[in-house]
Amino acid sequence: MTEEGQSEIFQKMWSRKGFRAELRAASAIAIKQWKVELSYPLSVLWFIIMPFIWFIPYLIAGTALTGSSESIHLQDLTGISDWLSYIAIGTAFTGLALSLLWGSGFALRREQNVGTLETLMTTPMNRETLVWGSTLHNLQHGGLGVILQLGASVLIFGVSLNVWGILPALAIIGLSIIAMQGVIFAVVCIVLTAKQGWMIVEFLSSILMLVAPMTYPIAVLPPILQYVSVASPLTWTVEGFRGFLMYGLAYEGVITAVIALIILDVIFVIVGTLLFRATERLVRQRGALSQF
Amino acid sequence: MTETIQEPSTKSVESDMAYLTDFKPRIMDWSAARVFATKNLKIAIRYPANFLVWGVLPILWFAPFILMATAIAGPSTSTHFTNISGFDDFVQFSVIGWFVFMYLDNSIWGIGNNFRWEQFSGTLEPLFTAPVPRISILLGAAFSDSIQGTLQAIIMLIFAMFLFGVEYAITAIFPTVLILLIMVFALYGFGFMVAGLILVFKDPSVLTQLIAESTYMLSPIQYPVQALPKSVQAIAYVIPTTIGIITVREIAINGTMSLPAFVQSIGALGFLALIFWGLGMLSFKWAEKWTKERGHMGGF
Repeated sequence: MTEEGQSEIFQKMWSRKGFRAELRAASAIAIKQWKVELSYPLSVLWFIIMPFIWFIPYLIAGTALTGSSESIHLQDLTGISDWLSYIAIGTAFTGLALSLLWGSGFALRREQNVGTLETLMTTPMNRETLVWGSTLHNLQHGGLGVILQLGASVLIFGVSLNVWGILPALAIIGLSIIAMQGVIFAVVCIVLTAKQGWMIVEFLSSILMLVAPMTYPIAVLPPILQYVSVASPLTWTVEGFRGFLMYGLAYEGVITAVIALIILDVIFVIVGTLLFRATERLVRQRGALSQF
Repeated sequence: MTETIQEPSTKSVESDMAYLTDFKPRIMDWSAARVFATKNLKIAIRYPANFLVWGVLPILWFAPFILMATAIAGPSTSTHFTNISGFDDFVQFSVIGWFVFMYLDNSIWGIGNNFRWEQFSGTLEPLFTAPVPRISILLGAAFSDSIQGTLQAIIMLIFAMFLFGVEYAITAIFPTVLILLIMVFALYGFGFMVAGLILVFKDPSVLTQLIAESTYMLSPIQYPVQALPKSVQAIAYVIPTTIGIITVREIAINGTMSLPAFVQSIGALGFLALIFWGLGMLSFKWAEKWTKERGHMGGF
């Protein structure tokens, strides 16, 4: 290639800006991640059966406890007696949440391990787009898992979903992604500074899962954990997602869930982005970007 | 500055040569196993927080089951659960199940990952050139994992007893130790199989996860074996921890167990130990041969 041609490419590359350019970069990262994952057949197999393997122990335990698909205790606590649908829809979201936390949170660590993080950091895209690209991939990856689990729950276990609630449930996921991105940025900060920060992330994700009302209402949590649960975006996402898929447009808690998510979106994404920018600057100043 | 190069003494070279010419392969080298286990434990002691973390984390994993049970069946018990399990407190039932299951989890993730760490540290190839039987290395890794796993399981049990307010019979300690010893011995064979997989696949995190989650699903931790479909119950009994959990739970909760049933459990675990050791050693030998033939031993 001639020098003139090269210079033209560089000029075009450096002049790129705006939302569409960042979106293109994010989808390139998402596609690259799919290519990597699909080259490991075992990962594909795990991805297909994972939602069932997580759900089935809850199903067996619930059947052993109640002997049927109805529970009077759950009805007293939530107004829903069908524990099977309650748990199937709640746990369907688990795969997506874990995929976002671990997949996106450790995306930069993976680049670091394969020696491409510094190169990626020199590309003319926003630093945050690196993480958003991974979120986009994990949203697709985890989203497929949600569809698989819900599909199997309907076909195999007889769970009934309200079709009118599907679009609003997707809107709830859309709202939750913004707040979850804040949590993901925090995880990235831990990974960038602590390098082997998986233990901290394991604690963080386990606590977030514990306080989320996936298989039980927050009323059964100890009071102190109920406060933590209210401040977690996962809580309102699961409540809204399940509410819409069970009751459709007649879901009563919609206003509370949406307002709570909007407030948490603003707080989490601002704090997360600021934390990420500060950490990234600090790590670069220390020259520790490619350190293991 | 003068550099002095020490020539190896003739006596030392002669003694090394004598060792090599006199060397006869042995079936088991206990001192090699002890050295390997001590080395692993020395490394583990350097990270004391790990013991606490791995002792506490499982509580965060099984607490959702207890909370779910509370939400759908009310606090502590349900008639249906008591009818099929014979126990009237599912919290007490689950905690002891998790305690025993931690040994299986440890054998799945521990022994094999030891070799992965050796690979990362660049010491796997030198380790496999050492003139000691492989079984010594495998057992060394297994011993150190068992000691660490026991500490973590005890920490978990103490925390869980305190958090959930459950109690177990003090008379259960001796029979529990006996059952756990035979079960752990059977699990070593299971661990050897996973170690072989790690030699072949290098980073079989997905496969290990699959084995861990499947065995978890089949083990009677949160629910009795009777809650599984009939066809699956037979598979559940092939996993050594199933008999271990059932027996330890019976003794720890009821404080007693009929002698014939106890002896039967020991016999069944002993039989499983023989089967798993045979399968484990065969598959590890095959994995080692396969890896060496392809020159993959130190590869990532």
